Amino acid sequence: MKFKRIILALALVFAPFACIVLSAFLGRYPLSPVEIFHAIVNRLSGVAPDVGTNIVWEIRLPRAILGSMVGASLAVSGAALQGLFRNPLVSSGMLGVSAGAGFGAALAIVLFHNTFMIYLFAFLFGILAVALSYMIGRIYDTAPVIMLVLGGVIVSSIFSALLSLIKYIADPYVELPSIVFWLMGSLSSASYKSILISSIPVFIGLAGLMLMRWRINVLSMGDREARSMGLNINLDRAVVIICTTLATAGAVCVSGIIGWVGLVIPHMGRIIAGNDNRILIPVSMSLGACFLVIIDNLGRIITGGEIPLSILTAIIGGPFFVYLLKKTKGGGW
Amino acid sequence: MNMISVRSASFSYDGVNVFHDINFDLEQGGILCLFGPNGCGKTTLLDNILGHLEPEEGSIIIDGKELGRYSHREIARKIAYVPQVHERTFPYRVIDIVVMGRTPYLSPYSSPGREDYMIAENALEMAGITQLKDRLYTRLSGGETQLVILARALAQNAPIIIMDEPASHLDFRHELLLLETVAGLVEKNNLSILVSTHSPNHAFYFENRGLPVRVAMMAERRIIFMGTPGDVITEEKMKRVFNINTKVFTGNGAENSKMKFIVPVGAANRGDSGEE
Repeated sequence: MKFKRIILALALVFAPFACIVLSAFLGRYPLSPVEIFHAIVNRLSGVAPDVGTNIVWEIRLPRAILGSMVGASLAVSGAALQGLFRNPLVSSGMLGVSAGAGFGAALAIVLFHNTFMIYLFAFLFGILAVALSYMIGRIYDTAPVIMLVLGGVIVSSIFSALLSLIKYIADPYVELPSIVFWLMGSLSSASYKSILISSIPVFIGLAGLMLMRWRINVLSMGDREARSMGLNINLDRAVVIICTTLATAGAVCVSGIIGWVGLVIPHMGRIIAGNDNRILIPVSMSLGACFLVIIDNLGRIITGGEIPLSILTAIIGGPFFVYLLKKTKGGGW
Repeated sequence: MNMISVRSASFSYDGVNVFHDINFDLEQGGILCLFGPNGCGKTTLLDNILGHLEPEEGSIIIDGKELGRYSHREIARKIAYVPQVHERTFPYRVIDIVVMGRTPYLSPYSSPGREDYMIAENALEMAGITQLKDRLYTRLSGGETQLVILARALAQNAPIIIMDEPASHLDFRHELLLLETVAGLVEKNNLSILVSTHSPNHAFYFENRGLPVRVAMMAERRIIFMGTPGDVITEEKMKRVFNINTKVFTGNGAENSKMKFIVPVGAANRGDSGEE
C-alpha cells in the first residue's frame, strides 16, 4: 500500500516533466533528435545559440511549460470547485472567471493592442467577475452555495453580453479575429516573461488548494455538517474560492479561454484515483498539465497551421473520457 | 454535571418568533428527547445549540462555558451532530467519511494521520459496521449510511451528540440498530444525547432499558411538558398536542421487566390539524 503510494507520487511528479521534454522534440521545424539533444546541451554549456537552440529553448520549451501550468490550474480549480459546490458538473469557470477574463481581454485588444495589457485586463476582470459573484452570493446567506451558483450564472451572462458588445463594435479585420482567437485559447504567445507573470497567481492558488485539500473533503459534506465538524465554513469557502480564482485567472490571462479541462480532467482523476481530494487534487494537477501539453503538441503538428486549444481539448478529450467511463463502469457513481 | 443548559432562550427568523422561553438541562450520561409536531421549532432549537444560529435572548451553556465563547473547532470537540438525512455526493470510502470526524483535532492545513485512522476504525466498531470500512458509501443503503454518519460523530470524540430525527428514514431493523447503538453509548461511554424525534416509542425504548431519559414536548413555540417519558407521553397530553387518540400499554419484556409503548388509535376531529 505504502509502496504503491510512493510510485503514484513519483509518477505524478514526473509525468508532466516527461511531457515537457517530449515537447522539445515535436514541432513543424524539422530537427532531428540529435540536433535537439545538441540544442539542449548547447544552451546548458553556454555555446553561442544556433537556430535549433532557439527553437527548442525560446519556443518549444516555454510553450510546454506554460501549457503545463495552465492545464494544472484549470484542472485543480475545477476539482476544488466541484467539491466545494458538491456538484460534479461544476467547472473552473463556474463563478464567472472565464467570462470576466474574456471580456477583459477583448476590451484590452480593442483599446491597447498590447499583449501585456491583455494579460492584465484578462486577469483583473476575471477576478472582478468572481468578486461580483461572491457578493451576490452573500446577499441572502441562508443558502450560500445556491446563491453563489446563481451569482456565477448572472455575472457570467452579463460579461458574455458585454463581450458580444465589444465584438460588435470591434474592427472586423484586425481586432475581431484577435478576440475570436483569444476566446478559443492558444499558447502561441508563450515566453519566459509570460510564464513569470502567470506563475505568481498560479503558484499561490495551487499551493493554497494543496493545503486546503482535506478541508475540501469536509466542505463537500454540506454546510451544516462541515460546520459541526469544526470548520469556519465562510472563511474556508472564501479561501478555496480565492485560490481557484487566482489559479484560473493567472492561467487564462496568458492562454485565453480553454474549455473542457476544468470540467473533465477532474473526472478522469476521480476515475483513476478516487474522490478523496487529498489524492484527487494532486492527481488532477498532474493530469491537467500532461493533457494540455499533449493537446498543444497535437495542435501544432496535425496541420500546417495551429488548431486552437479549445477545439482539440474537446474533440480528443471527449472520446477518451467516454472510453474511461466505459472501462471503469462509471467509477463509483 | 450538566453538559447543556439552556436558559430562557428565544429565537426569531426575520421578526417571526420560532420559539421562546426554552429552559432545559442535559446531564452527563443522560438522554433528552425533543418531541413535538412538524414545524414546532425542534430543528431551529438544535441549530441554536449547535451554534449555527444565535438565540435572540437567553443563554446556552455547553459544559460550563457560554456557547458564544467557543471557537468553531472547540465546539466541535464538545458536540457532534447526526443529521436527519445525509445527502451523499461524491463516492468516498466509508473510512474516509468517518475520519472526517477528526477534523476539529487537526491543525488547519493538515490531513488526518495514522492515529486518526485508528480512532475512526474504533468508531466503526462502536457503530457495528466494521465490515463496511472500504466500501464506497454512495453504494450503501440509507440505513447503513446513517450508521456511517453516526460513526463519524463518534470519531469526533465529543461528550455530547445531537441527532435530528436520526431514524426517520430507516427501516425497522436499522432503526433498532441505531437506538441500540445510542443506548450503548450512554451506558458504556457516558455520552449525553440530545435527540429530536417523531416517534414517542423511542423515548419509551430508552426508558424501558432503564436509561436516564427525559422528554421535552415542544408545542406552541415552547416546551410545554417536560419530564420522564411516562409523565409526558400520556394519552391526554398526546391528544392535547397532536389532536390524536392514543393508547399507552405496559407489557412484560424479557426477564419480567416492564415495557411501555404507545399506539395511535385515530385522529381526533379530522380537518383540525392539532394544537395550532
